[in-house]
Amino acid sequence: MRFLLLCALLLGLGAKNGDGQRGSQLPVPQKVTVNADLASQTLSITWENDFHSTVQLYDIKVLRTELMEVAYNETVEVRPDPTLGVHRWNWTSDTPLQCTSLSVQIRSRLGNQTSEWSPPEIIRGMDIPDKTKGQMLPQDKVVAVGTSMVFCCIVDEGKKFGAIKSNWSELASTMLSRRTYATVRINDSPSESSGTNVICFDDEKSMIDGAVVFVGYPPDIRDLVCETRDLVSVECHWVQGRDTHLVGPRRMFFKLNERDCLDANKPGVVEQKCQLNGTLDQGETKWTLRARNPLGHVELTDTADLKNRIRPLAPELSVEPEARKASLRWQWTAPWYNTLPLVCEVQLVCGGQLRTLNYTGKGLAQVLLEGLQPYEKYRVKVRCGAQQNFWKWGSWSSELRFSTKEDRPDPVDMWVYMTSELTGYILWKPLSKSQSHGLIQGYRVTLSSLTEEHPQELLPMGLEYSVPFSLDSLVGDHVATVTARNAAGVSPDATITIPRFQPDGGEALPGIFGTGGGFKLSWSPSNNASCGYVVTWNCTSGGQNCRLDWVKVPEGNTSATIESGSFKAGVRYNVSIYACTPGAPELLARSQGYVQELAPTATVTNLKADQRGSDILLYWDSVPLEGQRGIIRGYTVCLYNGSHFNLLDNITDPSIKNLTVTKLSYDTYKFLVKPYTSAGAGPGFTVSIRLEPVADMLIMEILIALGTVTALFIVVTIVCYRKREWVKRTFYPDIPEPKLPEWSPTQVFVSRTLDMKPCPSSSVRIVENPGRKLGKEELEVVLEDPEEAESLGNEPADTDSDELASLQYYNQVVGEPSGQAAHASESASSSSSSMGSTRTDITYTGIQTSSVADTSSCSSTAAPNQTVIQLSGGYQPQMNPVTSPTQPQDSSSDVALLEACRGYQPQASWRLDSTEEAGLDSLGSPTSVNSSQFLLPESSQEEERGHASSTTWFRTLLSGKP
Amino acid sequence: MAGTGTGTGTGTGTGASASARAGGRRDSGGSGAGRAAALARLLHRDCSRLLELYKERETFLCEVTMSKERIVAPSASLGRLPADEQLRHLHSALQQCLGLLEDVIRREKEEFGTDGSSEYGRMQNTVKDRLGHLLGSTKLLLVAGDATATLTPAPEVTDGLEKGSSFGLKLWTYRVLQELIHWTLSASQTLHSLQSQREKEAPKAARRGRRGKGRMRK
Repeated sequence: MRFLLLCALLLGLGAKNGDGQRGSQLPVPQKVTVNADLASQTLSITWENDFHSTVQLYDIKVLRTELMEVAYNETVEVRPDPTLGVHRWNWTSDTPLQCTSLSVQIRSRLGNQTSEWSPPEIIRGMDIPDKTKGQMLPQDKVVAVGTSMVFCCIVDEGKKFGAIKSNWSELASTMLSRRTYATVRINDSPSESSGTNVICFDDEKSMIDGAVVFVGYPPDIRDLVCETRDLVSVECHWVQGRDTHLVGPRRMFFKLNERDCLDANKPGVVEQKCQLNGTLDQGETKWTLRARNPLGHVELTDTADLKNRIRPLAPELSVEPEARKASLRWQWTAPWYNTLPLVCEVQLVCGGQLRTLNYTGKGLAQVLLEGLQPYEKYRVKVRCGAQQNFWKWGSWSSELRFSTKEDRPDPVDMWVYMTSELTGYILWKPLSKSQSHGLIQGYRVTLSSLTEEHPQELLPMGLEYSVPFSLDSLVGDHVATVTARNAAGVSPDATITIPRFQPDGGEALPGIFGTGGGFKLSWSPSNNASCGYVVTWNCTSGGQNCRLDWVKVPEGNTSATIESGSFKAGVRYNVSIYACTPGAPELLARSQGYVQELAPTATVTNLKADQRGSDILLYWDSVPLEGQRGIIRGYTVCLYNGSHFNLLDNITDPSIKNLTVTKLSYDTYKFLVKPYTSAGAGPGFTVSIRLEPVADMLIMEILIALGTVTALFIVVTIVCYRKREWVKRTFYPDIPEPKLPEWSPTQVFVSRTLDMKPCPSSSVRIVENPGRKLGKEELEVVLEDPEEAESLGNEPADTDSDELASLQYYNQVVGEPSGQAAHASESASSSSSSMGSTRTDITYTGIQTSSVADTSSCSSTAAPNQTVIQLSGGYQPQMNPVTSPTQPQDSSSDVALLEACRGYQPQASWRLDSTEEAGLDSLGSPTSVNSSQFLLPESSQEEERGHASSTTWFRTLLSGKP
Repeated sequence: MAGTGTGTGTGTGTGASASARAGGRRDSGGSGAGRAAALARLLHRDCSRLLELYKERETFLCEVTMSKERIVAPSASLGRLPADEQLRHLHSALQQCLGLLEDVIRREKEEFGTDGSSEYGRMQNTVKDRLGHLLGSTKLLLVAGDATATLTPAPEVTDGLEKGSSFGLKLWTYRVLQELIHWTLSASQTLHSLQSQREKEAPKAARRGRRGKGRMRK
């Protein structure tokens, strides 16, 4: 029972609550309709609600029907239309509405309370199964630069989506339905005129469809100005701003005061103007120009009274020219200008010179152009504007060209140049185009004097504009006249009285300096200059085409700047200033100079170098005028030092043309001399000279040298004489006396002294030459080594050779065994022949004159046993040479030999320790002499021989003996 | 076909005169076929260049494969038809191509502002002019071949722009250019073969003409 009651209570409460909600439930929106504007991708949703409902908030939900994804869900406040009671709300989709089906639902909201959702209103997309063909949306959309937009691709039924591409790049895509995919493209730059393509491909890379989007800008125009050209219509102009990048049907379209601008709206038209009918009487008028394109529109306005906006059209010109004036006429295409006060501007161009002339007048259509140059070509054009309330100049007429007629020439500008007292040239300047006033047919030159009745007519030389003349005498004034003629007549006479000849001052003329390619001159005024001054100039260097030129200075001016295109740098000009007098021109001043100095192109001439004692005089001549090209300021003299020229001197006075170079030694010198101007140095001239000592000095030097040598010799002699003892002691000490042991006759004395063994090749022996009657003993090479002897035996002994000066000397020993070499027997035979004689019984089988050092080297091989001298009667020095009976040879040969070998004779001064004179002969002298000292011969012997060598003399000198 | 001129004497008889006139026409037709063939070859190159320029502008065309379906479809296979019939069909096709091209030019000018300032625009005009000349040449050949021949009128051509979109115009233009290439190549080949054929026929016609003259003298 309790359970039943509880259930009944709960049901009762539940029923009560349910009735309560239903009782306060908000009404569901009724009659919901949805209309799609595909172009703007907008859904227009309308619904109705309870008329008494106070609900103003509605929840609007847009779902993609197929996948039931929310495309939009917002609460909006919508008030009903006061008359119809219909609620309307628009929703713009970023995705084309056809891409997929959309469901729209609405519910009322009052605070937190909401009504039920209205039944879904479905907008069917193009992806429904009935529409099997795929496509790309949207098509031909026009968007502004910088915006983004959504494209969707509906895939063909049965195919699969692949990709969406634009400009070769694939765009990210999202799935909207089974067949629909969307992508977002950012249009960051304007597209080409044919638009930007977006292509959809399936999974097999086959194209499904594509779309074109046109990206551009909204209209941009400014500066609308309206005016009248023909006084019956209004013409408005504007300035095109930024290009819209939209063409074809997307281009701008214009309307002026709500009327289409037919001209401006034509495709491809770039003219920004629009025309309407209008009159001057309509007063102030407002004109509105409206420009639109798919991205927007612009309006410009202009307000004005057309009377103040008159800009005439271009007139049509015609002209009637004369020599110095022309009549200019024009016509208007609009006839209404004839009564309009106009101001017209005439632009006249002649030879690049522009003249602008202004004329005014009512209906102005003709003007007279004055001050024209005869025989000249002109171009003229005209434009006009309203004289009252001037607005703008009208359009220029087309340019008209015409030529004025000829007129007689202007007077000729002439001058006279005297080349001598009686001859000269009449010169004149060719008339310029502005002076000739036509085609010059010729010039007439006459020379007249008071003494002659008829003037002398001179024939001009070709096109030189000069003619030579010669005067008969200097008596009276001569007048030259020049006239020119053309088709229109003859020019007025140009006359000049022939002036007196005044020769050129040459180098002595004062110098002037050019500035800026010309000369600035000033001079003292002359009382005689009644008609001004004439400045003439002509070049004095520079070669040909050097014609005298002149300029006339008006009276009162005492300065002039002469500039000429003919002035050349580096050319010297003579400038003369004349006073223009009623008679002949009067020379006031003359000077010379350069408009611009250059470095010389020539160098000094005749450079020579002369020796002046030990100096060199350089001298040269001036630089030729043609090569100076400036005022010579000095010379530089350089000296060649073997590699380059060093500056020797800088001569700053150009009049000095020599230089003496001093303090030079005897050598060859090369000098270089360069002239220089203010612009630099010119080429150099070199000269070479050899500086040689003079003959007197040579002799003097020789004598001095001889005297010096002589004095030196005398001094040395004196010193040697004074110091002779010392010299003798030092160089010629006395030979110590040998000390002999007691002599034993049986004693075999083996000579071991003078063991200066000669070198094998220098051993000689004295042999007798039987083939010569008066032959002296010859030296024969004796070798200790038999083999060497054999080797040398074939070679002749050069007895005259200096090598024989190395001789070996040794004594022979008697009593050696007979087993000695045959050489010994041979020696013995010679020795035996001297036995018993009083001569020195020595066989000089070897004489050695080598130095001490050599002897020592050779002594080790000395062989005292090789040659033994057998003494009979002891040693007998060469005191008394006696001819040996066994030696029939001429003893003179021995003497001669000794004389020839007058070197060492040791026994000459040898003395026995004993005083016994008799024993001298038998005792002999010791033959052992081993000394490194000089061995001097006995002076007495020298005297006996009756002749003294220089050595002897010197030794005598040193010894102090007379 | 290339007229030698020797067989085109001015006969006095009617038969000879007709033969001579026919020979004269054939002679002019032969050289005309040669000139038309040369013009067709030149036009084919121009069309190819025009398509290249169009692809340079519309680069997406390099990625797509278009339908092989002909816009201008022949009523029969040209290869099976006699030469004069081929020429007649060819003339008709070229006429349709010219119409298609002029339509494309107009539409492109309206839609994209294409004019003669670009190389593509200049080439469009060149192709249009030469195609007109080729049509004139083929028309002369038709008249020369058979004076009684009647030209097939150009059928109504749908523009293929069902959607009327710019993209559709681009695809259509591409197809028209491909059609031009196809038919100018076909014209070049047909006219070349026609020229060869008439050159072979020319000596026979000349011999017939001489025999006819001999009979007349008898």
